Amino acid sequence: MGFGGLFLISIAAGFVGAMSGMGGGVVLIPAMTLLGMNIKQAIAISIVSVIATSSGAASAYVRDRLTNLKVGMFLEMFTIVGALIGAAITLASGQSILFIAFGVVLLVSWAALFLERHQDWRPADHQDRFSRWLELEGSYYDQPARKMVHYRGVRAYFGGPLMFVAGLIAGMLGIGAGALKVLIHDMVMGLPPKVSTTTSNLIIGVTALAGSSVYLAAGVIDPGLVAPVMLGILLGAYLGTKVLVRLTNKAVRWFFLIVLLVLGVEMLVRGILNAI
Amino acid sequence: MADAEAKDVRMDAVIGYVLLGGVVVSVVLVVAGLIGHWIRTGEVGVQYAIPKTNLFEFVVVEIRKVASGEFRPRLLISLGITALLLTPYVRVLASWLFFAFVEHNGKYSLFTGFVLAVLTYSLFLR
Repeated sequence: MGFGGLFLISIAAGFVGAMSGMGGGVVLIPAMTLLGMNIKQAIAISIVSVIATSSGAASAYVRDRLTNLKVGMFLEMFTIVGALIGAAITLASGQSILFIAFGVVLLVSWAALFLERHQDWRPADHQDRFSRWLELEGSYYDQPARKMVHYRGVRAYFGGPLMFVAGLIAGMLGIGAGALKVLIHDMVMGLPPKVSTTTSNLIIGVTALAGSSVYLAAGVIDPGLVAPVMLGILLGAYLGTKVLVRLTNKAVRWFFLIVLLVLGVEMLVRGILNAI
Repeated sequence: MADAEAKDVRMDAVIGYVLLGGVVVSVVLVVAGLIGHWIRTGEVGVQYAIPKTNLFEFVVVEIRKVASGEFRPRLLISLGITALLLTPYVRVLASWLFFAFVEHNGKYSLFTGFVLAVLTYSLFLR
């Protein structure tokens, strides 16, 4: 697998990642394993490179004032602990089970979001006291709608612990678990899709760092392979952010659904075939 | 309220630029390393594994190499990846400084402090 090949698939991964609020690992790992890479090494390279896409995209979103820094920081407390444990689990596991886990996670995410697809985002009526104490509110300027959108985050007592699971999955599968994180932001905490996507992007970076340090300690990181992936994913993510801010919330959600479904099926099938 | 709003804007800007800065530094180092390697060997790609280590140790070893003049383009790539890994870390550090000393937000200083502590612990893992 040459430098050029890795570079190209990373561009695609970064683009899809930034556009859909995922870290790019979701596209990257299936692609790299299709080209013959061992899944654990793919996971390790992906988790380091995912920091690049997260930081790159998040930088733009934070400066555009879409990201909610407090929501992000609160949830990060849970994801990083999950990631450390998740990475440790992966190092101890077999390949097939990782493929299957990957596929299942994506398909469950897809199913949950698909069931909610017709619900347009509505502001939450009532904010629970815990979420209010956490100051989880904000507003952003929506370009296509051309107005300020005000929102309040809710059910933080639920969102937090669920984020631990998201972190676990991120550390285990080398993905940003942005799919799951966006779902939690969106469905559990009632945040508008663009805030969910951009805040999720921010959280991914820190979560990936926690996971990376476990893989680094295990000696599975090859900087030579990380280099083209990291550069490609950044280029792709940059292009992706240019497109995201111009889309409606609905379009972002649909794009997300399609990517999840395709990749989920692909990984699950491969895991099962591998295990037979 | 206008003051709080202004602080928010500033925090967003600072965090945004810390993230951008980290990525830029990292990319420049990695690209420089790749170009250097290509000039030296004519190969575009390079492959080498990092032995079991933690980020702290890795950084120290790499800096020692630079200091002792044992320069190879690969070093730039390693440093670039180190910069990448440290970007979220520095971002959290900047957030902590902001929550603690600019916004005087006790709650979030604490939350951020926790995140910083866990990340620091993970950087020293072996």
